Amino acid sequence: MSELTRRQFLKVTGVSLVGSSLALMGFSPGKALAEVREYKLTRATETRNTCPYCSVACGILMYGLGDGAKNAQPSIFHIEGDPDHPVNRGTLCPKGAGLIDFVHSASRLKYPEYRAPGSDRWQRISWDDALERISALLKQDRDANFVAKTPDGLTVNRWLTTGMLAASASSNEAGYITHKVARSFGLLGFDNQARV
Amino acid sequence: MAQRILEPGEIETLAQRSIPRVRLPARATVFARRASRLRDLSTSIGIGDYLRFLAVLVDAQHSLLADLSVCIPTPAHLKASAGHGMPPIQPAAWPRTDAWFETLKGICDALAAHPEFPLGVSETVSRLRRAPREWIEAQADALLQCGDQAIDGAAAPLVMAALQVHWAALAASFTADAVRALDVPGLCPLCGSQPVASVVYAQSPYQGYRYLHCALCATEWHMVRVLCSRCGASGKSIAYQSAMVGAKQENDGSAAEAAVRAETCEQCRCYRKILYQEKDPQVEPVADDLASLNLDLLLGQSGYHRASGNPLLWQPNGN
Repeated sequence: MSELTRRQFLKVTGVSLVGSSLALMGFSPGKALAEVREYKLTRATETRNTCPYCSVACGILMYGLGDGAKNAQPSIFHIEGDPDHPVNRGTLCPKGAGLIDFVHSASRLKYPEYRAPGSDRWQRISWDDALERISALLKQDRDANFVAKTPDGLTVNRWLTTGMLAASASSNEAGYITHKVARSFGLLGFDNQARV
Repeated sequence: MAQRILEPGEIETLAQRSIPRVRLPARATVFARRASRLRDLSTSIGIGDYLRFLAVLVDAQHSLLADLSVCIPTPAHLKASAGHGMPPIQPAAWPRTDAWFETLKGICDALAAHPEFPLGVSETVSRLRRAPREWIEAQADALLQCGDQAIDGAAAPLVMAALQVHWAALAASFTADAVRALDVPGLCPLCGSQPVASVVYAQSPYQGYRYLHCALCATEWHMVRVLCSRCGASGKSIAYQSAMVGAKQENDGSAAEAAVRAETCEQCRCYRKILYQEKDPQVEPVADDLASLNLDLLLGQSGYHRASGNPLLWQPNGN
């Protein structure tokens, strides 16, 4: 039986070719062996991922180049819908179809930036500064506009002046927590993966 | 790699449609297409004369298949195999009738009519014609992985070709709906054989889906992409390697244009080739696998193993 399993996979070499059907029947493997010297292996990758835009969470295939070595920068050259993905079956909306430009965009956002009122330039700020500023502004807006009672006296929990768009590939748990936080705030303009 | 565009109204219909799981061989085209592809590819590569020889062999398969009638599995047999989760026409359990032996004779006759091939071909043909039936049956068993006789490497493609005709006829007698998936996604759902290569089709309704092509019965079955067809590894273990003339460096972009690539797996260090119909509409798994022998040699140098051989080119294990 070991004979059988060994034959299942084999390393193709000059030696295996010399013992192959081709050579045994009198054809020459010499030219093929000489020819191979002109060739080189090139390597590409296909990587499954999820479109980052909305809560539909379409499956995508990202085509990249690169040898997978530690220092080599893999470069993505094409993105398309994943045909095997049950949600989108290989299709993408116009935003998703433009993902490749999003990846390579010269103005792609890589860290928090701030443009002061009246200013014409963006300045880089730290994550701490950004989060503090965002939370302060959110609180300010909520304090000013929160609706606790409707004109006819009904008690409600509504914060209508702020909306939230969150998550395209988050887990059940992340969706649950996001929902808890956003609904406790009173947010109604809210889209999240937990919706689907 | 074209972006799929939906026509108005298609979104609704798409939602209900499932992926076509199986593509069965068509008797009229399976070997004819292979022969013509072999001829096309033979003009540009080092083993072109071998491919021209195989084209004659596959022509013979085509004409012999046209007149072949086979006993098809009974409903009781199909039910029993389904009940045990076994492929219905696996070679170890499915009896070979005299018809396959006649097919082998026919192949020998067809090749004997071509004196332009090397002497080894006519020697092989006359050896097969003289050989006792038991020896040939034992060769067939060995090639189908259910016997342990030492394989006659020169006769192997001829014997395999006769078996292919027989099993393609069997496979063509099925309907796609009647084919049940196996628990083992890397084996043919009809005959349980290993695939020779896989194809990513470009035409609807198969667009973008990858199908493994059975080396014996030419049935094609769907398998999710970016997944090792041998060990099931996915993600970062999988890469697509191709052989390019004069590629300056591994990252120069030419890998994106190849119609024939090897899906290599770092987990089991094996590969099978994957053909992209979008890059070349004429790709045919058996023919293109043979014509990309240089890719096998380069991968062999890099330490990768073929997950399974080509039915028309038997090779001894060099390890």
